[in-house]
Amino acid sequence: MIRFLEISNYTLFYYYLASNLIYVVLLVTAIARNAIHQRRLSSIRIDHIKDSPFTPPITLLVPAHNEEATIVESLESLLSLDYPELELVVINDGSKDRTLEELTTRFKLRRATLLYIPEVRSASVRDIYLSANESRIVVVDKDSGGSKADAINAGLNAASSPYVCVVDADSILEPDALLRIMVSILAEPKRVVAVGGIVRVLNGSIVEKGRLTQIHLPRRPIEVLQVIEYLRAFLIGREAWAHFNMLPIISGAFGVFRRDLVQRVGGFRASAIGEDLDLVIRLHRYLREQRADYQISFVPDPACWTEVPSDLRSLARQRARWQKGLLDVLWPNRDMLFSAKYGRMGWIALPYQWIFELFAPVFELGGYFTIVTAALLGVLSRDFFLQFLIFGYAFATMISLGSVLQEEITYRRYNDWRDVVRLVTFCFVEHFPYRQLQMIWRLQGLWQYMRGDLAWKPLRRVAFNEPVPASKEKTKASAAGK
Amino acid sequence: MGSVSNWIPNASMARLLFQAILASLAGIGLLLAFILGRRAWRAFHFRVLNAHTFRFRQKWNDIVSGAIPPETWRFNKLDRQIVETILLDSIETGAASDLPPLIECLRSTGLLDLRIHEARELHGWQRRNAIVSLGRTRAPEAIPALAEALDDSDAQTRLAAVRGLGRFALPQAASALLLRMAEGTLNVPEKTLQNSLLSCCRTQPSLIVPYLRRADGPTREILARVLGELATPELQDDLLLLAVDPLPEVRASAARALGHADAQFAFPILSALSADPEWFVRLRAVVAIDGLNHPRSIPALVRALCDVNRQVRQRAATALSRLEPHLEEILERVLATRDAYALQAMISALERSDGLANLVAALKDPRNPRKAATILLRALHRASRHLHSARTPAGTAPEALQEPAETEEVTP
Repeated sequence: MIRFLEISNYTLFYYYLASNLIYVVLLVTAIARNAIHQRRLSSIRIDHIKDSPFTPPITLLVPAHNEEATIVESLESLLSLDYPELELVVINDGSKDRTLEELTTRFKLRRATLLYIPEVRSASVRDIYLSANESRIVVVDKDSGGSKADAINAGLNAASSPYVCVVDADSILEPDALLRIMVSILAEPKRVVAVGGIVRVLNGSIVEKGRLTQIHLPRRPIEVLQVIEYLRAFLIGREAWAHFNMLPIISGAFGVFRRDLVQRVGGFRASAIGEDLDLVIRLHRYLREQRADYQISFVPDPACWTEVPSDLRSLARQRARWQKGLLDVLWPNRDMLFSAKYGRMGWIALPYQWIFELFAPVFELGGYFTIVTAALLGVLSRDFFLQFLIFGYAFATMISLGSVLQEEITYRRYNDWRDVVRLVTFCFVEHFPYRQLQMIWRLQGLWQYMRGDLAWKPLRRVAFNEPVPASKEKTKASAAGK
Repeated sequence: MGSVSNWIPNASMARLLFQAILASLAGIGLLLAFILGRRAWRAFHFRVLNAHTFRFRQKWNDIVSGAIPPETWRFNKLDRQIVETILLDSIETGAASDLPPLIECLRSTGLLDLRIHEARELHGWQRRNAIVSLGRTRAPEAIPALAEALDDSDAQTRLAAVRGLGRFALPQAASALLLRMAEGTLNVPEKTLQNSLLSCCRTQPSLIVPYLRRADGPTREILARVLGELATPELQDDLLLLAVDPLPEVRASAARALGHADAQFAFPILSALSADPEWFVRLRAVVAIDGLNHPRSIPALVRALCDVNRQVRQRAATALSRLEPHLEEILERVLATRDAYALQAMISALERSDGLANLVAALKDPRNPRKAATILLRALHRASRHLHSARTPAGTAPEALQEPAETEEVTP
């Protein structure tokens, strides 16, 4: 037993050390990259992209499943985006509520005998509708395929632009988000095949007529903690991984992809739990196999705002689902690990995902087990444990503060002093018991996956700004990935 | 039994941990100080900035006219920045008639010379900043400094210079770009370059032609794309040469440009381009033919309606649906093709444009004595029914209908 504790102790210590060192590298890289990006932006006039005839058209794919509460407002917001050539393909994915009726009433939809070629497989399409008062809208009404991926695939088939942007129906894009996300594509159109933007937490902010009018930090602590998580994930993680061209995920809530490439890899995997992660990994796989010179990029300034769960139960479901999604993607792609063919993806990015993302809750649980066992056996060094605890706490706080710093030196969306003070304060309190709850939820996700529990839980949508009762469910499909 | 701390290299580990704690706490302290300190400093800075800006705005006319000597503000960095910002913003948003006094103010106060000096002498982001400012000045004497920056070893500086030259919207600025393109020394992303050339050559598109004649490969494509956006009827002869170019991108650009040319001249060329082996050339040709809006285009458009490419077919259908007075003739021709996909595309386009209901109503009208109309109506109904039953969304499309990639391949 003592020997076992000894080995676990070593393993956990070095695991934690490695994890922290990686975070330091990611933080420094992200700050440096962000500074460069800010300087670069100073010479770019976004309105020139808007006015240019050379700006390529984009199709926005908006999967909608029982979105009657927000669909019209969302589409109006999307239609008001600044972009020269925009097409909106709304996929009514077998909604059982009044989603299609709401669309028909507002946009005067008419059934059209458009030719639909299922180049990418999806559940059968019932009808295609065109709007009488908004020529940019195409509505694909289809049977439910049981997943968002299936709906996006149907939208891909109906899209006609060289680039597609997947947007959640209950998300809000900033008016210039598409122009900003296209900056990196326009700089290197042959090389950049996909770009992700930042997803931010909408809770607490005010939306009027589908437009974000006031930005505030949410009131509930559980939502504020998610704000910090999102800042950390996007402004540190995505930013730094993209710098090394190892970005493993582009959020399903907001990302632009080259349509031909997505179709070439077979579209989104309908059975995938984390379809966004799955697609990006398959794109990496395909392009590396083709020995292509490519870049999957991340741009931190085009923002998409999305509602996050506001109660523990919904959050638990979401996090369990993300963990299931991660395993569901990593397992089929395990042949990429340490394969020369996949370069840095196989040697660095995927091993990191396995060790420091997928198995993180297992290691964490192992750590608690070791401590408790050592304490029970009376072999726990109180001094060392305390030191280790303080270090863990201080380091994690520093990383969270680093993400707030990134936000502060670049985008400063939270202008109110009180918001910043609250954000900083929550960086100090997020470790107990939120972190431990996360561990439990993620372990639940792994357990559910291994049991074969892959069921999609029903969703309930609320209109923007409507308070969410604590007892009601409000989960998001895959808002921001990890 | 020892303690857990005995199983690991005790002293060094404890020391390492202690140092790590100290480093983390120091990190927290620094980050906190930076975040909160920066907030406080920014609040102070903007208060001062606003106060100074307000002061300058109040006496703005005197500053522009020189009544207030520049020596009173030029040596204070903040004041200099404020005046320059207001000047450049005014230049960007002002009407053409407002520009001369503003640009003259830039000259007489020495702000322009200072920026030109910085663009020539400084390096890195400082040079880039100077270039961005120079690009906003619209003062022609800044063009040589920007042109020099096109040869900078840093890609971002070159990009800033290209964008800056684009903002001038002057043929002199275009010459600097075209010259380097001809020499093959300009290494910047093509979209940015196209946009700048487009802006600079708008008043004088013929500037591109001599360079286009000599260029080849990607440079030729870029120049052709720009010319495609700007071409005027005077450049018809050059467009004719481009229409038979071996590069498909160039032919596509020629098709786009011909959309603005004289219909009598353009039509035969566009008709030939609508049968080009490359789908995007055919698409551009069909779009241009649509722009001509002439019944002479019906045979070419009906041929395009049977194209293997979905987008060409749909665009041809849209174009045909706009030729409403000739719909009977068009439908007769479409039915004669015996191409179900073509007919469906046509019906769909008519449906979208409300043309189908009008056509059916006209054909049903008993006052219409034409027997052909009745026959046509029956044929249309039959074909429509047939198509409706044949349309199986989840089925597989014929191989020929598979659409090629619209964007270029990733370069292996």
